[in-house]
Amino acid sequence: MSSESQSQTQTPEEKAREQLIDLAAEFYDQFAGGDIPEMKLPTRTKSNIEYNPNSGVWVYGDRTSTRSANSVRGARKLLKAVYTIEFLANQLEEDRSSTLRELYYLSESWDNNEAHFSDQDESNQLVEDLEIVSKVTREDFHMRPEESGATLMGPLKIKEQTRRGEREIHCQEDVGEGGYQIPNNPDTIEFLDHDTDFVMCVETGGMRDRLIENGFDEQYNCLVVHLKGQPARATRRITKRLHDELDLPVMVFCDGDPWSYRIYGSVAYGSIKSAHLSEYLATPQARYVGIQPEDIVEYDLPTDPLADSDVNALESELSDPRFQTDYWEEQIELQLEIGKKAEQQALAARGLDFVTDTYLPERLDAMGVI
Amino acid sequence: MTSLQSTLGDEPGIAEELAQSQREISIAEFFEKNKHMLGFDSGARGLVTAVKEAVDNALDATEEAGILPDIYVEITEVGDYYRLIIEDNGPGITKEQVPKVFGKLLYGSRFHKREQSRGQQGIGISAAVLYSQLTSGKPAKITSRPKGSQDAEYVELIIDTDTNEPEIKVARETSWDRPHGTRIELEMEANMRARGQLRDYIKHTAVVNPHARLELREPGLETPMKFERATDQLPAETTEIRPHPHGVELGTLIKMLEATESYSISGFLQEEFTRVGAKTSDKILDAFRDRHFGRELSWTTPATHTADIEGAVTEAVSNKGADATEAFASEIASVLSNRERTSHFELVEIVDRVAETVEKDTGRTFGDTVRENAVEAAWDELTAYSEEATNGEEPARDHLTPNIYTLVDSATSTRKDDAAIQGFSDRLARRLAADGGRQFRFTHKSLTKIIADVAAATKEYDEVKFGETAQENIFEAVWKTTRTVPDDVPKVRSVAGDRDTASQLVDAMRETDILSPPTDCLSPISAELVEAGLRKEYNADFYSAATRDAEVHGGDPFIIEAGIAYGGDLKAEGSVDLLRFANRVPLVYQRGACASTDVVKRIGWRNYGLDQPGGSGMPNGPAVIMIHVASTNVPFTSESKDALANIPAIEDEIELAIREAARELKSYLNKRRSMEKRREKQDVLGRILPEMADKVAEVTGRERPNIEGAMARIMNNVSVDREVDGETVTLSVENYSGRSETPEITDILSAEPTDLNGDATVVDMDGEWFLQWSPTVGSGDEVSITYTVAEGTDFEMNVDGIDGEKLTVNA
Repeated sequence: MSSESQSQTQTPEEKAREQLIDLAAEFYDQFAGGDIPEMKLPTRTKSNIEYNPNSGVWVYGDRTSTRSANSVRGARKLLKAVYTIEFLANQLEEDRSSTLRELYYLSESWDNNEAHFSDQDESNQLVEDLEIVSKVTREDFHMRPEESGATLMGPLKIKEQTRRGEREIHCQEDVGEGGYQIPNNPDTIEFLDHDTDFVMCVETGGMRDRLIENGFDEQYNCLVVHLKGQPARATRRITKRLHDELDLPVMVFCDGDPWSYRIYGSVAYGSIKSAHLSEYLATPQARYVGIQPEDIVEYDLPTDPLADSDVNALESELSDPRFQTDYWEEQIELQLEIGKKAEQQALAARGLDFVTDTYLPERLDAMGVI
Repeated sequence: MTSLQSTLGDEPGIAEELAQSQREISIAEFFEKNKHMLGFDSGARGLVTAVKEAVDNALDATEEAGILPDIYVEITEVGDYYRLIIEDNGPGITKEQVPKVFGKLLYGSRFHKREQSRGQQGIGISAAVLYSQLTSGKPAKITSRPKGSQDAEYVELIIDTDTNEPEIKVARETSWDRPHGTRIELEMEANMRARGQLRDYIKHTAVVNPHARLELREPGLETPMKFERATDQLPAETTEIRPHPHGVELGTLIKMLEATESYSISGFLQEEFTRVGAKTSDKILDAFRDRHFGRELSWTTPATHTADIEGAVTEAVSNKGADATEAFASEIASVLSNRERTSHFELVEIVDRVAETVEKDTGRTFGDTVRENAVEAAWDELTAYSEEATNGEEPARDHLTPNIYTLVDSATSTRKDDAAIQGFSDRLARRLAADGGRQFRFTHKSLTKIIADVAAATKEYDEVKFGETAQENIFEAVWKTTRTVPDDVPKVRSVAGDRDTASQLVDAMRETDILSPPTDCLSPISAELVEAGLRKEYNADFYSAATRDAEVHGGDPFIIEAGIAYGGDLKAEGSVDLLRFANRVPLVYQRGACASTDVVKRIGWRNYGLDQPGGSGMPNGPAVIMIHVASTNVPFTSESKDALANIPAIEDEIELAIREAARELKSYLNKRRSMEKRREKQDVLGRILPEMADKVAEVTGRERPNIEGAMARIMNNVSVDREVDGETVTLSVENYSGRSETPEITDILSAEPTDLNGDATVVDMDGEWFLQWSPTVGSGDEVSITYTVAEGTDFEMNVDGIDGEKLTVNA
């Protein structure tokens, strides 16, 4: 799945292209054999993800859905798939790249009205489908999301392969306060050197800026990764590489509400939508720092009451296989019991330095990281 | 009111004064003032009603004579008036009858008949004549040529509104080109604002009278509207039936009683009513007796230690000798003691029987007086009663109270305490003894009242409530012990003379179970002809119809029919058209007041595939719903006969008939929708898949793949292919559908095929060879045949027996 393919002679682009054309050839053979063209995909729902004990991440189960040309809907999907295959194959041949949004608009220029995407969700989903059946990642198709924008900051020196040549960057000394921008395909980065003790993934921009302003990265030799809400693939990929290649502990610091637990879940276990890439993106060893429901009680944080949607989300997490551990069940049940949630910034109620001077050191100490 | 009366009283001459201005009103005069009741309330409507009455008469007359109706309607403008001409090819009307039929209100042949016909009261056409004369002052001009007559009679007449008698202005013989028939010409003040209704009336008449030929000319029509026959079959002739006992009202019954030649009620019932034979008549008479005489309460025979029947009878008999007396008395006592309960008339019968036996055995005569004395003595024992019995320590002779107590106790719930039941029984026994006479006769009504009174008294004195249910239960228990008396019912004459007695007879007739009236008095259109009628007048895609079995309402049988037409040229916007008919007459006005409209509105049409905003009310869409009520007496809301009255029994049948027809509509629409979907699927896939195949070929750099097999499979298709290899031709059928199919394949060849290998036949048709092959191919199977034919032969293939949407022919 990664860029280090088994084939020695082929570039990743050539291999990706070949995989796509094989897919088209499969449709061709189905037609020629008098069969109805179809494409089998794992069912992408919560009920069809299962734990893979070998890799420690959650991947798709055995249930599959079929996109078949037997129905008008299915036929349209397959037609779009073939057009997209053609586009991607050409893009790879010309060594260009494009964004998911560009693909959506580009479909408008295709000669066939039936092949136009009706919205971007459709084109995004189709690209994910193609990733799954061709076993090539989106990045290797040279498709990138519209904006990733996530950054990291800390004592790490890297070498990035850019279109304009190689760049060596120190992520603390060579960057401004904004930090180092993670590229869309982090596999183009090589880690050169580091003085890092652990990785701290932070959900919100406000908290990330607070840690930088208070010099938390320097004080604790910490690499601060900004998740920017639900993390982009590149953010998750680089986090995994930092853990796997540099053997750094990964900590996740989010708000204390059900949506944030899902952010942690996608960093640690993989997301439902991209469970086919879990082994490539998820960091099962990532640990959740807070805010824990327990912290709300212990630090007496300012809170908001749980909305109905929060309660539903918590209950749905109780049935989510990714959260079926003693720790999470205990925390979620506690939260349902107190009926409250708190943001990261709620820690400011105890002063601006409370998070860097007290909360995080206490938590990290308790978790045996510092 | 009081003040007015006192003023009246002050002026003694007022009544006389008023009387001077009071006089008889003729029916024609009445009509003049109440035109709206008969549908002549405006010029627009008057015209439609006049046409309607004349056409209805024409249809009735032709059908009755067994002639296929051919009716011509013409409306022309004549100065300020409209002239209306209606001609039919009916049997004609004799010279003597013409003035009466057209010039006298309430003259008709059908009013007294129980038979399905369009007209009934004999008001319609003469009302039209009257309306025309009132508005234009012109007489009605009638030409009639009876069948077989050389010449036609021409009459001009008006109606004398004072006397309701026709006044003939002109009468002469004339010649007419129709061999028989009637023509009426009326001039009236009118307008054509109701043109739509007029045309609808004629068109709808054509729908329900597919055997009639109709033609309409009116000033707004460039070419006449002509409606040709759809069938030569006349409606089945109807038979007149006698009234059904359930449908007769008191006034009618009294009239019938006065008119009948029968002497006894039994004879009267069997003679004048349908479905009444000797058995039914007996049942009615018993019910009549119960109402007229009341029923007799029966009593249990007391035990010998409390009553000495034998002794009492012995004492009542004198001079009959000891043996005979003893035989007589002991036999009566023993018969009674073996009986559970005995009523007074039963006792009389017993005594008579015993007396006769003893007379035979002993030779002694037991005359009427002796027998009466014996009855009285025994009855005194059976029904001994004394009011003191309730209080005295030594009970006086009272057999009634214990009897009643047993009944009341068995009928009341165990929660009532014994004292209350005892008190209730005491009072009831006292009332029965007081009110029932010696024979204890009570009607349903009088007994109910007594029990209610006793309950009220018990509540007042004992403060125990016997509620309605308790009263009913007690009533039932007591009523069960009553017997119908054998008294002779009054004769016809005395029943006719007494309103109360007649009313008792009506009640008895209504209560008795009697077979439904026969239905040969009805002439439904039949589902088949309803459909044919709709088919004739509406160009639609789908038709269905239903005829229900006959039902009865108020003694009149009725049959409901419904029909639905859908799609085609019918207008798709707005609500559906509802055609209402009663006895084959279209109902044009007052749609909103009609029971049939209510029924259509309350059906959930979405279930049947029609759009219905809000889920109730008139459905929308390209459909026509037709309802026909055939009955010997169609219940209308008013005399103008525009709307059916809301009779539950009829509404239910209307609903069932519509639903029956609508079920077919539903399955048709479902099938059509699935066909539409299939066609749409084929359209879209037929476009997408070849494009997909092209793209796939382009991306893989190969030839365009053959996608026929995949296409056929996707469409669940049956594909018929021809493969020509030199002189050898192979025809194959592949069935991808879910069930087995039998295509009928005809292959037309310009040369003779040989070496036919397969189950097909070849016919030579003037130098062309028709190869016919009709294989049955199971789902998922493929079959083929081969033959040899000269190279360059022309082929043409036809495939039948499979829906076009499911078929792919590649030949």
